[in-house]
Amino acid sequence: MSPTLTEPDTAGLGASAAAIATALGRVTVEIRGPNGAPIGAGVVWHSDGLILTNAHVARRDVSVVLSDRRPRAARLVARDPGRDLAALVVDATGLPDAAIGDSRALRVGELVLAMGNPFGLPRALSAGLVHAVERSIIQADLRLAPGNSGGPLADAQGRVVGLNAMVVGGLAIAVPSETAWRFVREQLHGHRRPGR
Amino acid sequence: MEALLSLSNDLAGAVERVAPSIVEVHARPRLPSTGIHWRAGLVVTADHTVRAHDGITVTTPDGRSLPATLAGRDGGTDLALLRVPDLGSSPAPVGDDTALRVGHMVLALGYGPRASWGVVSVVGPRWRSWRGGEIDRLVRLDLVLYPGFSGGPLVDASGRVVGLNTSGLAREMRLAVPATTVARVVDELSRKGHVSRGYLGLGMRAVQIPEPLRAQLGLPGNAGLIVVTVEPDGPAARAGMLLGDVLVALDGAPVAELEDVQARLGPDRIGATTTALVVRAGRRAEMLIQIGEQPRRRA
Repeated sequence: MSPTLTEPDTAGLGASAAAIATALGRVTVEIRGPNGAPIGAGVVWHSDGLILTNAHVARRDVSVVLSDRRPRAARLVARDPGRDLAALVVDATGLPDAAIGDSRALRVGELVLAMGNPFGLPRALSAGLVHAVERSIIQADLRLAPGNSGGPLADAQGRVVGLNAMVVGGLAIAVPSETAWRFVREQLHGHRRPGR
Repeated sequence: MEALLSLSNDLAGAVERVAPSIVEVHARPRLPSTGIHWRAGLVVTADHTVRAHDGITVTTPDGRSLPATLAGRDGGTDLALLRVPDLGSSPAPVGDDTALRVGHMVLALGYGPRASWGVVSVVGPRWRSWRGGEIDRLVRLDLVLYPGFSGGPLVDASGRVVGLNTSGLAREMRLAVPATTVARVVDELSRKGHVSRGYLGLGMRAVQIPEPLRAQLGLPGNAGLIVVTVEPDGPAARAGMLLGDVLVALDGAPVAELEDVQARLGPDRIGATTTALVVRAGRRAEMLIQIGEQPRRRA
């Protein structure tokens, strides 16, 4: 039997979750519509200003609020409604970017954390676990709300393994990071990361 | 981040440990349910998900579809036992449900595997379900039972099966039948095909007895059960029980709810004689009922 469970290291668990929340908070962006109302979330995918979100969140140019709380104009550079992914670019360099994990390695039962702006509440965290793994989507037993769309789903090490996209039958549905990489490779040749 | 990672690995490990003993049960239209490979060749599932008698199949973790026969069922505990000859050898690792405490982290699993995460929200004493089954421990869960999860295992964080999840025993609550009860009922079902229970052959509803009448007749309590159906030639009918009689005590113990009657009709009471105190037309009457065995439900 595992020591973490028989004698729960709640201090350690709490500290771990808090560290991940802080790290995710730096790479989660708020996305606002033309009238400034919050419409979803996004992930800083690359430090030179590339932000990924859902296609159903970003239908045109939007404004984004990074972790420095300053609104910036963001240009829609690619959009794929089929995969529910969109790429935005802000005029910035040296942004803190997300550590991206391998969604193909996810196991059912693994802990996952989601961050987004549910009901307009910036950078709210929710926790759950991987419910089922399919090739094209991740299903998570985790509570999401409108405003979580486009935000990161991270594993227990804080690596982004997906982008939260919708709720179906109470389950959170996320686009896997593998799909997001493929989208970036196909649509944005200039934004490849070293080694991918 | 070590603590969270280690917990995450434990939970994923728990799923992988139990997954080889989780099957999909096809015994009702549309929505398959989940079953647990409990003993060699035997799958236990939630009784309310078994609607068909013939043509039942189970799908193994590796995707084989196998024919299954109904070995027995007990609506009282919402458990049904299926015989599946070619299941292979991967019975579930069964844990100790007496160790469950409020706040323990648990997983509910479905075929796939699919997982749901939560905590034990209530642990209570032995209780009786609305269908009359004796359940050794109340285990209420704070987690989501997704469609098709009924009949699947409740798994502790070390990867042992401590219960069987069902939405069939309470409408608003997620409950697990503890492993102790599952083991006991599986044993009885595999030997006899059903769980024996005492039987009076009565349908009754709780009623209040007006205080003047209670005082006048010297009754033990101010509540009773009015007889609304009498099974023809059933144990109570043979003893002379009539529609409209109000049952107030069995062997001197007051009965105010159906539970009080069921509590006195355990399998050990079959064949025994019980003294029923009733109010009939404003007077006390006593009758001796020889407790019968509950006829088996035909689905």
